[in-house]
Amino acid sequence: MKKYDQITSLVWLAFAVYVLIESSCLPLGSWRDPGAGFLPLGSGLCLGILSMVNYLQARFRKEDDVRGSWHSPDRWKSLLVILAVLFGYSLFLDFLGFLVSTFIFLFLLFRLVEPQKWAVAVGGSFLASIVSYMVFEIWLKTQLPRGIFGF
Amino acid sequence: MEFFSNLLLAFAVAFTPDNLFFCFLGVLIGTLVGVLPGLGPVATISLLLPSTFQITPVSALIMLAGIFYGAMYGGSTTSILVNIPGEAASVVTCLDGYQMARQGRAGPALGISAFGSFIAGTLSVIAIMLIAPPLANMALKFGPPEYFTLMFLGLTVLTYLASGSMIKALMMASLGIFLGTIGTDTISGLERFTYHSYTLMDGLGLVPVIMGLFGISEVLLNIDVQAAKRDIYETKLSNLFPNRDDWRISIFPILRGSLIGFFLGILPGGGAVIASFGAYAVEKRISRHPEKFGTGTIEGVASPESANNAASQGAFIPLLTLGIPANVVMAILLGALLIHGIKPGPLLMKQNPDVFWGVIGSMYIGNVMLLILNLPLIGLWVKILKIPYPILFPLILLFCLIGCYSLNNNVVEIMIMILFGIVGFLMKKFEYEGAPLILAFVLSPLMENALRQSLIMSHGSFSIFFTRPIAVTFFLVALFLLISPQIPGFKKRPKGGDIV
Repeated sequence: MKKYDQITSLVWLAFAVYVLIESSCLPLGSWRDPGAGFLPLGSGLCLGILSMVNYLQARFRKEDDVRGSWHSPDRWKSLLVILAVLFGYSLFLDFLGFLVSTFIFLFLLFRLVEPQKWAVAVGGSFLASIVSYMVFEIWLKTQLPRGIFGF
Repeated sequence: MEFFSNLLLAFAVAFTPDNLFFCFLGVLIGTLVGVLPGLGPVATISLLLPSTFQITPVSALIMLAGIFYGAMYGGSTTSILVNIPGEAASVVTCLDGYQMARQGRAGPALGISAFGSFIAGTLSVIAIMLIAPPLANMALKFGPPEYFTLMFLGLTVLTYLASGSMIKALMMASLGIFLGTIGTDTISGLERFTYHSYTLMDGLGLVPVIMGLFGISEVLLNIDVQAAKRDIYETKLSNLFPNRDDWRISIFPILRGSLIGFFLGILPGGGAVIASFGAYAVEKRISRHPEKFGTGTIEGVASPESANNAASQGAFIPLLTLGIPANVVMAILLGALLIHGIKPGPLLMKQNPDVFWGVIGSMYIGNVMLLILNLPLIGLWVKILKIPYPILFPLILLFCLIGCYSLNNNVVEIMIMILFGIVGFLMKKFEYEGAPLILAFVLSPLMENALRQSLIMSHGSFSIFFTRPIAVTFFLVALFLLISPQIPGFKKRPKGGDIV
């Protein structure tokens, strides 16, 4: 964890520097009347200082619990597949419409992550798409996108 | 007299058919997510938040509150039968509950957990009715400096009680405050960190952020760590009613658990998890046979289960009377109320008595519903537990996507949610807690307003926070908590695992 703490501290420090630079472009105001940049600057400053403290604590920590990789190597692909399908859904939702994109989304997850039987994947995706459409579009009157197919 | 008129109003609101329905729906969903490991009340409330925008604020709050305390009931089922806590507040129930199940006493364990939760819930509702009005009256004397220091104290307590590093928790609180400043500044009208994005002009949405941090990340985490095959203890669940001896042993642990849970629930930054560990630790300490804890003692189930339920209801006091969320679930409920145009705080009781008393009344009815739901439906919950995760997770993700999209019909918010899902996943991997981030994110605009108003009032002098008695008290307590880990001989509170 020691190594990971050092790396993540540096990432947060870099983010804090970005916040400080950006918020210094905003009017800071005065103590009597703080401006729009006052709180972002303060929070960026806190984040930066705390990141440095965290880095130094990790750097000089003697003991370290031995851990393996921070991710499971064999599950890594599944995570990438899920994220790709999620981003794909957000990109094609308006274009394909709710029913079609939801069916494809569910089918891909059922088949690609821990492959289910074809009948389960097709039937489950179809059923879940229809039921969610009925609950959200018809019952709760949520406006779901219709896309090029009109549904 | 006022107590009875309030009680009457509470039941008049809670007993309307609509509110009864939403109360039932809330506790049913709450029990379900409490049963299902990997989907806690935080994720569920955030998932269902958008669907409540179509109903009245009182019904919405009744349903969301029902999910919260319903999950506390449901969580015990998986702890006892599977040795997997459905949610964090039921972790400690595993210790004795699962051992009881292995000894063929799963029925009494589930029964005492349901009855203990019911008694604790009932006592908490009565305590809320007695404590809330005077507290709200006192809060009317609060000005911006008092509110700012109280929110500062709430954030400090949450970071102090963080299960991991306090520095990391403070980092997350700072990040949360920054994220809360994104959008148009309400005082000057200037855009901050929006980069001309229409979606960001109104600020980062609460729902995409929470759904990402708690919903999407939870799924990613469960996929990453392939769940071990669940070993459901197959036992006959016919005898759910504890016998006379069980009652004799459990009744005082239930009462003590209720008391501990209620007061730890009120404490900003406290909550059901700490309450359940605290109650278990107290029972073990005062027991004549502490060595038997962990081997299947019924008081080891009764006390923490009562405490987590009492805490989940006690947490409503600071939210409804002061407008300060005591934990992350309350922070989401605060967000929900603000979206509905209702500002929780001392004036809530006067301006929206139906919301305040309706929610309180519904909690009592909800407790009765949960008792009826839990005992006969345990067989059904066990069946639901057997649904394989590969079938469940696409549906959870779909729910996140629809919930997020339906908010503003905006796919950019879905992308924000996914982004926060990745951030939340990495945060969990590297042991950065999400709770301080969310609490700070929700409080950030309120804190900024209170800070700016205080400084305008004092003509730029920070002495305003040190010259007003209530404000300085809050500030000093917060300061003490911040520096206490550095004081030699003053150790940070023991972690849950240490207590047990």
